[in-house]
Amino acid sequence: MRWDEVDELLRAALQKEVAEGVKRLEGLEERVIQELARRPARESLWQRIREFLTRPTPRWALVGAMAALLLGFALGRLTSPSPIPQWSPNLFVIAAPGARSVAVVGDFSAWQPLPMSDPDGDGIWTASIPLPPGRYEYAFLVDGKWIGQDPLAEEYLRTFGEYVSVRYVGGSRENLSS
Amino acid sequence: MPAEELELIQRSLNGDLEAWGEIVCRYKEAVFAVTLSILRNYADAEDATQDAFIRAYENLRKYDLSRKFSTWLFTVAANIAKNALRKRRRERDPPLPEMDGDPAEEVHTDLRLAAVRAAVAALPEAYRAPVVLYYWHGLSMEEIGQVLGLPVGTVKTRLHRARALIRAKLVEQGVIQDAVG
Repeated sequence: MRWDEVDELLRAALQKEVAEGVKRLEGLEERVIQELARRPARESLWQRIREFLTRPTPRWALVGAMAALLLGFALGRLTSPSPIPQWSPNLFVIAAPGARSVAVVGDFSAWQPLPMSDPDGDGIWTASIPLPPGRYEYAFLVDGKWIGQDPLAEEYLRTFGEYVSVRYVGGSRENLSS
Repeated sequence: MPAEELELIQRSLNGDLEAWGEIVCRYKEAVFAVTLSILRNYADAEDATQDAFIRAYENLRKYDLSRKFSTWLFTVAANIAKNALRKRRRERDPPLPEMDGDPAEEVHTDLRLAAVRAAVAALPEAYRAPVVLYYWHGLSMEEIGQVLGLPVGTVKTRLHRARALIRAKLVEQGVIQDAVG
């Protein structure tokens, strides 16, 4: 079954599930209005003070982010560089100068991010992932941003409105797609 | 935002509860889908939906009119549902029989849809909400990220993983054929 057919099944199943529960929402408007009419119109002064005190301040978020960045930089300097492995069908490579975190995600990892590394800090991030022969869909995450088109990929496809790359390991498209 | 909806929001901001009732009427099903995806229980989702509209009204002055109203409302609903889920877990998570439907009825309606629903229900909590927001609400990745407070990349990986899990389950059960699409 094609992915778009799975998508259609999912849409239909979710519509059915929600539709079966919707009858519970009859009269919700009146219940909400009654509850709101029962409550005081505005928050009390105490509530507003409490909200102000518990609201995260952008300044503190910035300080926290800087501290995390410095700590990450210091830890990175302490680790010894390792050589980039030779290219192989299992090697994933992406140029991402200045990136803080890079990962590869794919069907081989059940779309869980696998961290990539840039030991010598030249902006070339790599990960060598042992893969049995097969067809694999994947993408990169550079600082959380989706990069779906790997120049080394053999083909691309669009899914969820975004590109993913496709790579064949241990064979050609013809003998691995069936 | 349609002018009519903007007017309803502005009237609600001025304390017009009837206007807010109209907003509830328009969005209750969509908000219910959000809370149901997180809570997986019709009764809890109903309560959370009501709470979401009350909380949204009370916080309406914080709503930035330049943002999409539905995205903001779904964010409020998702937060309410997540809090309810945490509370339910503290009080020992009860079984969720209501989502299973009537098996006899499902045999006669559509086995495939029933299998898909079961597969979605079996997804880890972190994956269900993105699936519903994408497939039911048709939200963009960015909007799903805003609603759930997740980076866009995380939303995408969760959607891919969720769909792969669902597909694998359906193949395992013989509901669909295993072939690369």
